[in-house]
Amino acid sequence: MKTPVSVLRLPRGPEPNSRGFDPNSPRYIALCPTTIPASQGNKADSVNLEEEQQLRSELRECFLRSLIAMTDKQVQFNLYEKVQVQAKFGASDIDVLNFQVSDLQTPLGVQKEALLRCQDMISYSFHL
Amino acid sequence: IGVSNRVDSEWTKTPAALLCLIHSYQMAMRQTPLTCSGHTRPVVDLAFSGITPYGYFLISACKDGKPMLRQGDTGDWIGTFLGHKGAVWGATLNKEATKAATAAADFSAKVWDAVTGDEVLTLAHKHIVKCVNFTQDSNCLLTGGNDKVLRIYDLSKPEAEPQEISGHTSAIKKALWCNDDQQILSAAEDKTIRLWDRNTGEAVKTLSFEASVSSMEYIPDGEILVITYGRTIAFYKAHTLDPIKTIDAPASIHSASLHPDKDFFVAGGDDFKLYKYDYSTKEEMESYKGHFGPVHCVRFSPDGELYASGSEDGTLRLWQTAVGKTYGLWKCVLPGEFERRFA
Repeated sequence: MKTPVSVLRLPRGPEPNSRGFDPNSPRYIALCPTTIPASQGNKADSVNLEEEQQLRSELRECFLRSLIAMTDKQVQFNLYEKVQVQAKFGASDIDVLNFQVSDLQTPLGVQKEALLRCQDMISYSFHL
Repeated sequence: IGVSNRVDSEWTKTPAALLCLIHSYQMAMRQTPLTCSGHTRPVVDLAFSGITPYGYFLISACKDGKPMLRQGDTGDWIGTFLGHKGAVWGATLNKEATKAATAAADFSAKVWDAVTGDEVLTLAHKHIVKCVNFTQDSNCLLTGGNDKVLRIYDLSKPEAEPQEISGHTSAIKKALWCNDDQQILSAAEDKTIRLWDRNTGEAVKTLSFEASVSSMEYIPDGEILVITYGRTIAFYKAHTLDPIKTIDAPASIHSASLHPDKDFFVAGGDDFKLYKYDYSTKEEMESYKGHFGPVHCVRFSPDGELYASGSEDGTLRLWQTAVGKTYGLWKCVLPGEFERRFA
């Protein structure tokens, strides 16, 4: 009767709410190319770097504020396959992977509560 | 091991005795496959990267449309490449595991940053894409699929039209760079394998089979091509497509892989088992149960210490080449006497 080989633990499975690629892993920190082109240059580009970072922060803040402004408003979503739906926007998850919406009007009826996958959206619009 | 006059405790410290004990210990151990869960549909393709300063990595293609990256020696999930809108039929990593490529039923092939998980490029096709393969410098991507055309994309000029190679009369299942990326090997439903010159786009040689080829693996070191069809695992010289040897398995085989040292190969298919064969003698050495569905793909890791299998049951399993050895998550737990003397 053979003894089974011992195992330290089982392989770790996927996290339920994240797509992974931990930005704190040694590999990520070492290899991840910075998204800011100016920072790949030499010291003379540090002025450009600062300016670019400033602009990027402003854009990011603008986007986050737009999400706040959208809360509880009717939003029109343009999805793939020429599908358009309307719903009341609730919140976004931290990675902007899903939007929580209420009273989603679909061709099949009204869904009281739903999660819309951001990857399914082409665009969305709402009145301020 | 010869008879010795020496005192028993001294004899057992000799290297020969040690090897003998390790061997008999390993023979007494039963393979414990490591199951990697996470996919929700059949796993149809898998590929390893080369060995990088951060170890080696494994990518799996799944009909659930969400290919996953894992640490190669442990099977630990690193991330999921999100973006495809259909079953992913093929997946590959470049040697450095910095880029990934996938082929899907949504008529696209995608290139990904394998460090951040971000989608870098979408290459639209006119039909289901089945396979993808990087050149050694990761600058070009080869794709093949149901529109029967091989395409070569220059990744530094993704907007440019790909070079197209036509000839196959049915859907292409697998396409690989070979001979220092100067030639291309492709297998299709038309029951042929064709060797193409990359520059002229002409077919250099064609092999015909009785059945459709189910898988292909190219071993650059030694220029060996491993193919499977029906119950057969066949080895060919990659340059000339001259046959080397064939082995028949007990069941229909979907995939096979040759160990880097070319001493054994593994195969899996319809009967859910993994088979291990001696490459020189062609003898079946072991068979392992574990999967709950047909095995679709199997590959040795770049260091040869383990092999990974993907199955219809939605799991990947990692198997030890030397059963009982301490490696990755497997631990050699020594029996008491052995530990007392040698640990």
